[in-house]
Amino acid sequence: MLGNQIQGGLGTPGALSHAYVQHPPLRCDIPDIRGLFYDDANKFLIAPTADRILYWKTTLYTPSGPPNSDPVNEGPVLSVRYSLDHKAIGIQRSRHGIEFRNRETGETCNKKCRADSETILGFFWTDCPTCDVILVKTSGLDLLAYEPQSHAFHLVESKKFNVSWYLYTHESRLILLASGMQCTMFTGYQFSAGGIVKIPKFEMMSKSEANNKPVLAADDVHIVTVYGRIYCLQLDRVSMSLNLYRFYRDAVVQQCSLPTYSSRIAVSAVDNIIMVHQIDAKVVILYDVSLDSYAPVSAPLPLLVRGLPINSKQLSQTADSQSSAYGGTIYGEGWNFLIPDLICDAENGLLWKLHLDLEAIAASSSDAPSILEFLQRRKSDPSMVKTPCLAIVRTIILERRSVPTVAKAMDVVLDSYTRLMKMGGAFPGVRRTHEQNQQLGSQPNEGSHVVSQEPSPGTTVSPAVNPDQASGAVNISEQSNSGVEHSIDRGLLNINISSDSADNTSDAVDKRQQTVGEASRPLSSGTLTQHGQHAGTVAISPIEMFQSVFTLVEDEMMGDPAYLIAVIMEFLQSVSKAGLKAPHNLYVMMATLLARSNRYAEIALFVSNKILEPCKELAMQLMELGLQHPPTRKLGMDMLRERGLHHDYVTAMLQDGYYLEALRYARKYKVITVQPALFLEKAVAKNSAHNLAAVLSFFCEFTPSFKTTSDFGRYRHILSEMV
Amino acid sequence: MGLSSAAAGDGTQLCVFDLRRGQQEGQELDKILFFHPADCPILLQLSVIGLCEGIVTFTRIFSPEEDCEVIESEKHSHVFYQAETDIWMVLVVEKNKENELTWRCGALQGILKEAHSLFAMFHGPIRTLLDRQPSAELARGHLRTFLTDYLSDFNVGKKLLFPTYRDSLKERGTVQMLTVSREVALDVQSLTTVLGSCLGNVTCQSLVLFEDLLVSTTLPPDDTLNLYTYAVLRLTPRALHSNASSWSYLRKGTSVSAGPTSSSSNGTTAGERPLLREKLSKGKDGFVAADFAATEARGAVPLTPILWFQQAEERMYLCIYQHKSLTILLLVPASSLINGEEGITHVKKQMLENASQKIVTVEQKLTRGWGGENAYHVSGYRYLLVDPERRVSRASPPGKVTTLAKDSRLALNMLRQEVDLEKSRYKRGDPCHDKDFEACIRTKNNAWVIAKISRGRELYMALEKGGETLLYASTAVEKFSNRYCEGAFSTD
Repeated sequence: MLGNQIQGGLGTPGALSHAYVQHPPLRCDIPDIRGLFYDDANKFLIAPTADRILYWKTTLYTPSGPPNSDPVNEGPVLSVRYSLDHKAIGIQRSRHGIEFRNRETGETCNKKCRADSETILGFFWTDCPTCDVILVKTSGLDLLAYEPQSHAFHLVESKKFNVSWYLYTHESRLILLASGMQCTMFTGYQFSAGGIVKIPKFEMMSKSEANNKPVLAADDVHIVTVYGRIYCLQLDRVSMSLNLYRFYRDAVVQQCSLPTYSSRIAVSAVDNIIMVHQIDAKVVILYDVSLDSYAPVSAPLPLLVRGLPINSKQLSQTADSQSSAYGGTIYGEGWNFLIPDLICDAENGLLWKLHLDLEAIAASSSDAPSILEFLQRRKSDPSMVKTPCLAIVRTIILERRSVPTVAKAMDVVLDSYTRLMKMGGAFPGVRRTHEQNQQLGSQPNEGSHVVSQEPSPGTTVSPAVNPDQASGAVNISEQSNSGVEHSIDRGLLNINISSDSADNTSDAVDKRQQTVGEASRPLSSGTLTQHGQHAGTVAISPIEMFQSVFTLVEDEMMGDPAYLIAVIMEFLQSVSKAGLKAPHNLYVMMATLLARSNRYAEIALFVSNKILEPCKELAMQLMELGLQHPPTRKLGMDMLRERGLHHDYVTAMLQDGYYLEALRYARKYKVITVQPALFLEKAVAKNSAHNLAAVLSFFCEFTPSFKTTSDFGRYRHILSEMV
Repeated sequence: MGLSSAAAGDGTQLCVFDLRRGQQEGQELDKILFFHPADCPILLQLSVIGLCEGIVTFTRIFSPEEDCEVIESEKHSHVFYQAETDIWMVLVVEKNKENELTWRCGALQGILKEAHSLFAMFHGPIRTLLDRQPSAELARGHLRTFLTDYLSDFNVGKKLLFPTYRDSLKERGTVQMLTVSREVALDVQSLTTVLGSCLGNVTCQSLVLFEDLLVSTTLPPDDTLNLYTYAVLRLTPRALHSNASSWSYLRKGTSVSAGPTSSSSNGTTAGERPLLREKLSKGKDGFVAADFAATEARGAVPLTPILWFQQAEERMYLCIYQHKSLTILLLVPASSLINGEEGITHVKKQMLENASQKIVTVEQKLTRGWGGENAYHVSGYRYLLVDPERRVSRASPPGKVTTLAKDSRLALNMLRQEVDLEKSRYKRGDPCHDKDFEACIRTKNNAWVIAKISRGRELYMALEKGGETLLYASTAVEKFSNRYCEGAFSTD
């Protein structure tokens, strides 16, 4: 039933895929543009024309509409990168020169290299405290500092070595510089707000025959950032495998070798899932490396285009019909994969965003606990996580999977809940310091433009003084203070500290990029606020488990209450292990199920060892169930007494005919809320003048106003008739 | 009465007889199903049973609803228990010289009741056995071996020693529970779930014991009680230890009385003589079973006993598994095991596969939280708490109770006897209405003995070296109630 529900949610029924791009794409096929560029630090898609630079902010959820534009000087454009505070534009004009333009003043300045001995391979802006721009040249790196007032650059440091090609992603802040005959020797640096870290030199292994030593191309190496960890994928064309390396502070360690089915691959990261596009085979393979497992999440499946206007009754759309519908080819020649999750179809001028089809992934596996784990780690689309998770738990209970399996599944859900709750609580503080950190770290020289609360904008604050630089981007420093994995991960090269927790990871980086230079501006992408929502919408509380799982399956499980009882017992254990409280109504349900199976002895056992925690709801239910089983009623009464629910206790005693005991109790605990008439009626029913007189005189003493009530007169009369 | 003077040996007799049998003159012997001592002259046996039958018939004239409980003669007391309809068990005990009330009728009846419950658990009701084989050989054979084995526990030298005033802070026929934290209770329950699923579709029942205390059960109270009693008598680590250590001693002790049976019991299995101590031991696989090393020559296979559960209305195989202080009694419904022993082997394998890890964890956690044999000692108090409805009791550790003066214990015994009478009086009056009761008595040796019944639960205690006033005594009870009984005995 629920399986259907999950499958029914597929955008195009019958079409099997685990990843898709959503139609409509961003159209950037404006005439007159001279190529498309991507600025991964700012996530701008950039299209230069003859005298302008057009750019789209791709982080907006609906990046439609006309692009923004900046006037620039005419000339060739090799690459464009906006500064992190968006105040300057860097345009590489040739292999020897870069033009920097101040967007406010329009001032330009040029940075040139020696044309004879070196060429510029590229450049990028950095939030590293000591410099702002890194120039990558065949002869090494130039670290430049930018002075906005004078719109001038000065060289901070120069690192000399030979570079064949390089790879940089702003997400990881990591630059890899290839050198050597086969370009398999790598030097690496991380330029981050925490400072500069040099990665030990390493060689990427490549199977090679004696006379055929392939040269490693930049296209074959991909830096991926997931779960706050930095990985590198290298395609080995000889053995047709993909080597996965992980970067640590002091080492680069090969993790595994993944199979490939294509001579060309591309890599994206969506919601901490590594997507390896097998371009020739037109399929994509997903990997979730969170638990250091390198098995694919699912079988290789094609990429779908979702949301196409369907004008035929054709249910399953082949890749061909899809491509004809949107006017391009899936994995076509013009596809460029942008970091982390964008695809730019340069031929057709389209920009696609990659998505995971969580429902489809969930439906493709029957291993409920690991699917739940997988889903709970996702956060790009919280609404697609919670409902399927609850449905999965319900389904496995209805299917009567083995109790340990169900227990494990519930463990996953509750563990995730506690983790997210813990993080949700800590988040606001982290964010605040994080923003300050951005300003301090990234705009050391900015002068008058800084946000007002900035105490001394001109000073460069060293990371050591910064209390929470951990939550910023790179945290490699030893003094990091807030990480969950602090002790374990000290040596890891992480872009932020608590690398495993769901809260951090690339979002933190996104956040950072957002906040840079626009800390006072509300964020449009939602990455920042997402955490709160994430915790609220992905996490499943014990109460929700009760409401959306147990109450819903209860009716259908009536034939076999023993199984449901065992499941609830495991749930209670999970709840207890996670340090949470179970909803009281669950105890009520448990007691009812046990009573229905005639297992009253176990009710008593569970009440006595507090597995069923004492509460009023349970006490009342026990009294109710106890109408058929007096010892159980007694359990309920005892619970009322122990909980100090005096009124209910007295009423219950009265109901059972213990009116003298009830009177004594009422006197001791001054319970005046129970009507005297109820006591008197019981005494009359017993037909004992003696007792009636006793009750009457008790109330005359206990409640002074009693003598004036009509009850007094009435029962006095009855008493006089009795004697 | 002539029978008392003629009684042999220690003068203690235990007999089981069926009023429906031997009603023809000359066939009186047919009534007797069991008689201890076995070497008692037939005439004397007939005389004892004749007297008992006479009393039973006579008292029924006045009290058709209530059974005769006890008759007191000058030198003996006859304690009656109607185990099944028309099947009576009578225990005859000799009074001591000082003529003090040293035992309690209720406690002795408890022995008869326990003996019968255990017998019925292993062999089914006596009436069923009689119906199955009207010659009664089967019933007599089972009763002879079973009750002889059962009585061996009371053997001290050549005498049978039954509970006296010394045991006034003990309640036979109740279960002692281990108090565990909620977290551990959940672990135990999780283990119970795994145990329950050892057979796949059909749920197995289980009891979990730690040392001699019950941790969890899935059976109804009466069945739990019987199985628990058996476990504490023979199966828990302590019981197994004493099985082994008292082997030679007991053999001497029992071989006299069990004389005629011992020759025929060579090939008997644990299923037939479940109370025979020397045959039970823990195997290498952790399962406790009858040890057949001695009879292996005959190629005997240890048989898993099948038990009858009255409340659960099922016959079940009993598998006993032990890990350190933890004893697990796993009950497999006999109706769902078609291939008998083979099926049991499979269940055991399943259990080891699925539950081993949990068993180890639970044992560790229980051991960590275990306060030792004096865990439930409350200093200054010697107490007994009984919840008759749940068949649960808790008492001061025996080692602490022995420190009480004889006078205190005699007084307590007397008080309990009174309370027993009072209770049965109430029961006759209004069976569904609990009557509260309280008595504090100052003893000869200036101690307080106290009995309090509240909402059906009973508390007995002795306070020595306490204050003199009644206020002191009632405050002490109040304190105890609030601290250890969640206010169950607090004065309203």
